[in-house]
Amino acid sequence: MITPHSAPLPQTQSQPPPLEIHDLTVAYHQRPVLWGVDLVVPAGQLVGIVGPNGAGKSTLIKAAMGLLPAASGWVKVFGGSVSENLRRIGYVPQRESVDWDFPVSVHDVVLMGRYGHVGLMRRPTAHDHDVARRCIEEVGLVAFANRQISDLSGGQQQRVFLARALAQESDLYFMDEPFAGVDAATESAIIALLQALKARGKTILVVHHDLPTAREYFDMLLLLNMRVVAFGPTEQVFKYDLLQQTYGGRLTILSEMAEAVRQQSQ
Amino acid sequence: MRPRRAIPLLAAFILLACADAAWADRIGDLSQTDWREQAKRFITLRDPAVRYALAGSVLLGMSCGLLGGFIVVRKMALFGDMLSHAVLPGVALGFLWNMSKDPVAIFVGATLAGLLGAAAVTLLRRTTRLKEDTALGIVLALFFAVGICMVTRIQSLPQGNKSGIDKFLFGQAAALGADDVRLMAIVTALAVVLVCAFYKELLLTSFDSAFAASLRLPVAALHYGLMLLLAFAVVVALQAVGVVLVSAMLITPAAAAYLLTDRLHRLLLYAMLFGVLAGVAGAFVSFLGNNLPTGPFMVLAASTVFALAFLFSPRHGVVMRWWRRRAQAQRIQRENTLKAIYHVLEVRGFAHAHSVSLHELAARRQCAPDAARDEVMVLARHGLARLQPSSGTIDLTQTGWQRACEIVRNHRLWEWYLAHQVSIAPDHVHADAENIEHLLGEEMVCQIEHSLSGAGATSDPHGRPIPSRADMQRPFGTRAAADVVDTKGRMP
Amino acid sequence: MNTLLPAFDFQQVFIEPWTANAASSVWIVAMGFFVATACGLVGNYLILRRMVLVGDAISHSVLAGIAVAFLLSRSRSSGAMFVGALVAGVITTLLIEAIHKRTRVKQDSAIGITFTTLFAFGVVLISLYGGKVDLDQECVLYGEISNVPVMAAPLPAALSRVAAQVPVLKDAGIFWRGADLVAPPDVLRMAGVTLLVALLIGVFYKELLASSFDPGLAFSLGINATVMHHALMAALSVVVVSAFEAVGAILVIAMLILPGATSQLLSQRLPVILGLTVLHAALSAVLGLHLGTWLNCSIAGAMVVAGGGLFGLAWMFNTRDGIICRWARRSQQRSEAVPPA
Repeated sequence: MITPHSAPLPQTQSQPPPLEIHDLTVAYHQRPVLWGVDLVVPAGQLVGIVGPNGAGKSTLIKAAMGLLPAASGWVKVFGGSVSENLRRIGYVPQRESVDWDFPVSVHDVVLMGRYGHVGLMRRPTAHDHDVARRCIEEVGLVAFANRQISDLSGGQQQRVFLARALAQESDLYFMDEPFAGVDAATESAIIALLQALKARGKTILVVHHDLPTAREYFDMLLLLNMRVVAFGPTEQVFKYDLLQQTYGGRLTILSEMAEAVRQQSQ
Repeated sequence: MRPRRAIPLLAAFILLACADAAWADRIGDLSQTDWREQAKRFITLRDPAVRYALAGSVLLGMSCGLLGGFIVVRKMALFGDMLSHAVLPGVALGFLWNMSKDPVAIFVGATLAGLLGAAAVTLLRRTTRLKEDTALGIVLALFFAVGICMVTRIQSLPQGNKSGIDKFLFGQAAALGADDVRLMAIVTALAVVLVCAFYKELLLTSFDSAFAASLRLPVAALHYGLMLLLAFAVVVALQAVGVVLVSAMLITPAAAAYLLTDRLHRLLLYAMLFGVLAGVAGAFVSFLGNNLPTGPFMVLAASTVFALAFLFSPRHGVVMRWWRRRAQAQRIQRENTLKAIYHVLEVRGFAHAHSVSLHELAARRQCAPDAARDEVMVLARHGLARLQPSSGTIDLTQTGWQRACEIVRNHRLWEWYLAHQVSIAPDHVHADAENIEHLLGEEMVCQIEHSLSGAGATSDPHGRPIPSRADMQRPFGTRAAADVVDTKGRMP
Repeated sequence: MNTLLPAFDFQQVFIEPWTANAASSVWIVAMGFFVATACGLVGNYLILRRMVLVGDAISHSVLAGIAVAFLLSRSRSSGAMFVGALVAGVITTLLIEAIHKRTRVKQDSAIGITFTTLFAFGVVLISLYGGKVDLDQECVLYGEISNVPVMAAPLPAALSRVAAQVPVLKDAGIFWRGADLVAPPDVLRMAGVTLLVALLIGVFYKELLASSFDPGLAFSLGINATVMHHALMAALSVVVVSAFEAVGAILVIAMLILPGATSQLLSQRLPVILGLTVLHAALSAVLGLHLGTWLNCSIAGAMVVAGGGLFGLAWMFNTRDGIICRWARRSQQRSEAVPPA
């Protein structure tokens, strides 16, 4: 029986989650660095990924975007495959991963965020340039738009990367240590920006290094150390014993097994 | 590196820069042909051989500059070097095809050999622990050795037309024929069209390949495509520049362009321009000397362009930077003199403003009166002060007075900021302020002023008044009566 | 194509060099061995320090030094050549430093610019004045190792008298011209350089190791890494210039890299690597002579090709990560992984 005034279905049922990872195992040179990750990220959340060095934080987001091959498991983005939903994924790589002496201006870099929309062999349109300008404005770098990127401070360079991610106009963002090596002012500017994105319904996963600030910045935390230690709302996850599990006590057995796997497959 | 150590380096560079011109003179003496006659032949383009040589040089300059731009920004200089050496066995094979200098056969052979070399490097990197530079070095040396064996073998063969194969080692633009130039034009046009078509993608993968991969751009395909174009550029330049020096035509013009611009598309344009310039200059000089190898002359011409960019690039040039530093040092010197005059006036409570003598200034600056006179003359040249010749007293102009107030004000503001906002002990702040006073920008001054007025302070941590904006507008040597003057005159 | 590969005549390729042509073969192989050993020993450290490109650069740019020394001294005296090469080496390192520290041009481009400029300068000098000093462009590229025995000169008489007492030497006709013991001075000089390099590596073994592995550690141990760096560059210049006449300015790069790279595939312990380097040098010198004789091509080039062949074998068959072993392991794994039916 159909009721004309039936309430809309709850959102969780009508829309698939932005990111769903099932039993994902990733290996570098045959050496597993992530084991059996299960993860379902609800929409509109600001998620911090924390864990010690070598915990596989960057690996996780790269594998989630399909930049690294998975040894097993699958990733779904908005209910489909990653490549079907490329335009809905934005990415902020680590700042050190590029050569900042490269001869491009701030505007050029931000415009690169539009390339996914432009298509092979096409030129960016006036609209794309407008979007880039708007994003530069949003991160407060208008005065620098035509500067070469090596003229910028570390914090400003990070904001350029964020502006580029904004220009992608995606719904799901992966950010690799956007707070690394930035000053306090930039850090608060970035977090304000992330909050603004969240307010527009975007989902953001941020690899984060600093445990104390993680608690205040993020809605949800993913504690990672070669496997998922815990995932949930920050106040539930930010517990002594869980953090102890994540950071304390080296996972000797897991890393020894990883080494064994590598040696065996050589 | 100290400037003194740089001087011999500069001298060496200038020497290299002059080399072309100097040798051009000598060549006339050495070879029997008259170099004036040769120059006339070249410039009038009477000779078809000259026309081909010129066209070839322009084409090779374009293709090498274009692809070299990517080599430089992607930090692949050694890769370019490897590629240029690795094509030699391909050249020999192409020559063997029908024992003659067939452009197409040599083109195909050289391109294949270059790509084989690139593949060998990739394979070595994947399957061994050898580092990138070692792998490149091995392939470079080994392919070149194989090529040398083949070339010497061909030269020892009894039959066939062997002339021309040795020209591939150091290049000979004059040996270019119509077929060669046609092929070079096709390949260069292809390279230009492909780079234009995929410019956006090449830019992004060169700058940030991780981001490019996240957009699912075909990063690997673009990389190999670029390798292929690079091999094309090498092969285009091969006959005129020679195997040994092609890498220079890839790297040097592009590196010169890299010093002159901050945008990739302009870099590529400049690199093409410099490549063409070097190519034509090299072809011209070697033509003067009749059958001298072209490659080395082109390379020296390109190096000259680079040396000029290295020295005189507006932003990155060594000379320009030295000039800017010197101008700044002079400005600081002037400002220090102005500051000293202010201090002399301040000590005596700004009475008798127009009577600061050279001796007082010299005592304050701790230098001889003559040196103080020189300093004042410098101020006078910049319209900041006047020296009364009869009385030997110093008179600041309105601008000079403003600047003096500004510097003292900057100094004391910064001291106050360090002491009250950063909580550094008052006796630790002076040395730092001596430097900062010359660098403090308007924006920073406003910020500090804001917190200064917020704190209701008017004097620095040593108790001396900070000149206000109003003071700077008053005539020379007058201060508001309300200002507390520290007549004990401690050193600031 | 069959003209490229001449008929293989075992007698001519493997026997004659050691019978009819023994007098020249011995010296050619000796020269090749010494060049490859000296270069290989220095090259090992270049590889460990990721400085192969610098080796490439210096081997090119010494040409300018040699050419200038020739023109100034109007002779092929080795003293002038060494000085010229050392100066060129120093200028190369200084120019590279000046370019990449004072501008934003990266080190690889700085190296590329510097050595091609100096090399081009050297080639220009030689092509203008080469006739006067008996130096040509081909020699620059691949040397004239087969000319080495031609220049055999008598050794001091005292040495001849001592050698005449040694039974093996006494009967070897190739070493004698009448009552005089003869040897090409180039080979003797190269042997001296090789011994010197080996000696220096022996004496400064731990300093070189520490500064190559970890300059910070070397500093804390009181080893001056900068001095070691410049000493290595000086050794490199000397080795390259003494090898120049035999193998030219470009094949010497192969001599620098191939022995070390081959040995480093086969072992991970530095003393073993250095030993294998010497072995590689000896094998490639002998095999190169035969290959060059067979193909009637540049013998120096053939020695490098032979060395490359040895490298290929090491690549294929080394037990740790050789291609064959990898493949065998993988197929074994696959067969083990097949689930029981």
